Amino acid sequence: MILTGLALGTVLGFALQRGRFCVTGAFRDVWLAKQTRWLTAFLVTIAVQAIGIFALDALGVIQLGADTFPWLGAIVGGLVFGFAIVYAGGCATGTYYRAGEGLIGSWIALAGYALAAAIMKHGPGAPLVESLRGVTAPVGTVHELLGVSPWALVALLVAGVGAAAWHHLRKDAARPKPVQLPARRTGIARILFERPWNAFATAVVIGVIGIAAFPLSYAAGRESGLGITTPSADIVAFLVTGDAELVDWGVMLVLGILLGSFIAAKGSGEFRIRVPDAQTVLRSTGGGLLMGVGAAIAGGCTIGNAMVGSASFTLQGWTAFAAMLLGTGIAVRVVFGRRGSRAAPAPTPVGV
Amino acid sequence: MTVHVLETEGQVCPFPLVEAKRAIAGIPSGDQLRIDFDCTQATDSLPRWAADEGYPVTAFDRTGDASWTITVQKP
Repeated sequence: MILTGLALGTVLGFALQRGRFCVTGAFRDVWLAKQTRWLTAFLVTIAVQAIGIFALDALGVIQLGADTFPWLGAIVGGLVFGFAIVYAGGCATGTYYRAGEGLIGSWIALAGYALAAAIMKHGPGAPLVESLRGVTAPVGTVHELLGVSPWALVALLVAGVGAAAWHHLRKDAARPKPVQLPARRTGIARILFERPWNAFATAVVIGVIGIAAFPLSYAAGRESGLGITTPSADIVAFLVTGDAELVDWGVMLVLGILLGSFIAAKGSGEFRIRVPDAQTVLRSTGGGLLMGVGAAIAGGCTIGNAMVGSASFTLQGWTAFAAMLLGTGIAVRVVFGRRGSRAAPAPTPVGV
Repeated sequence: MTVHVLETEGQVCPFPLVEAKRAIAGIPSGDQLRIDFDCTQATDSLPRWAADEGYPVTAFDRTGDASWTITVQKP
């Protein structure tokens, strides 16, 4: 049954790569380019997923909800994670899919992330994570806090996100269409491996994958949805202990992301082993390690927390989402603020 | 007319776009800026930036596996 994780992960990795779906980019654009187009697309995945998973919950297929709200962990971990992803050049899923494209910088970030997550979950960092996550409020979800039906929140989210998406789609339609690469293929090969995917269509696809993850994962005995951090930590723990119990649906999922993005990149001529410079190596290492620490403290990454947690309206999910966005803003100021003051490398003029 | 070349290979996003914005600010009107890049996401962000800013794109193509080039004109 855990093989459905590998299959779904492959589809997810394929969609992430072809759709250029990068949560780090979405968060970073808010601060760096003052644009919310990709953030809106990310919110679309949350809204789509919310509809599906509350329906599955109502049908009794899955059980959503949270007993407590580890607020300190969500805030501290979210800030650290949001800060780290700017340095790592991608959040957890972004790093997985770029690793599949052949970016060695992402391999390094991924190794650092998985190692740090394992240290914080299974190793000497566990007491720190437990003490931070032990500071809780007794209410776990937004609907419980407000005393309303979760469907009221789903309706509100869908209406708000729908309006924002509509605004961006109209804006897209009103301006000149961005130039596309010359077509080299036709038919199904063009659709799969060449044609650029619309950001909002990609968001819907990823939202649907997020819904499908729940029943498939439940069927394999893992009672949650998409998640990246725990499986990544479990891979490291399995490799050093040999405990096969650790290899679950989630581990298959993250391996699938690598496989799927590799297939997508290879098929579209976008795979190449790319060696980073020394500064990128340092950034990827530090960012990756810090990402693992932040995700372990927050109880999940941009997927487990900001996407799945928010879709299930847990207080942890939305709080971590906000903290990650803020952490990204702080890192953007540090990285790009300083870079902006440095003399720009001038382009080389050549005659024509 | 002059073409200015900005080589951003090896730089991950958003650096190609950040550098392109800065480079185009420093060239005279009418000149073109050629950006060579190998960050996949920039295949989306660079042409979108050109469309948003109203810069005509005079060339956009692949130069090999995971490497691209785009040329925009400063109006």
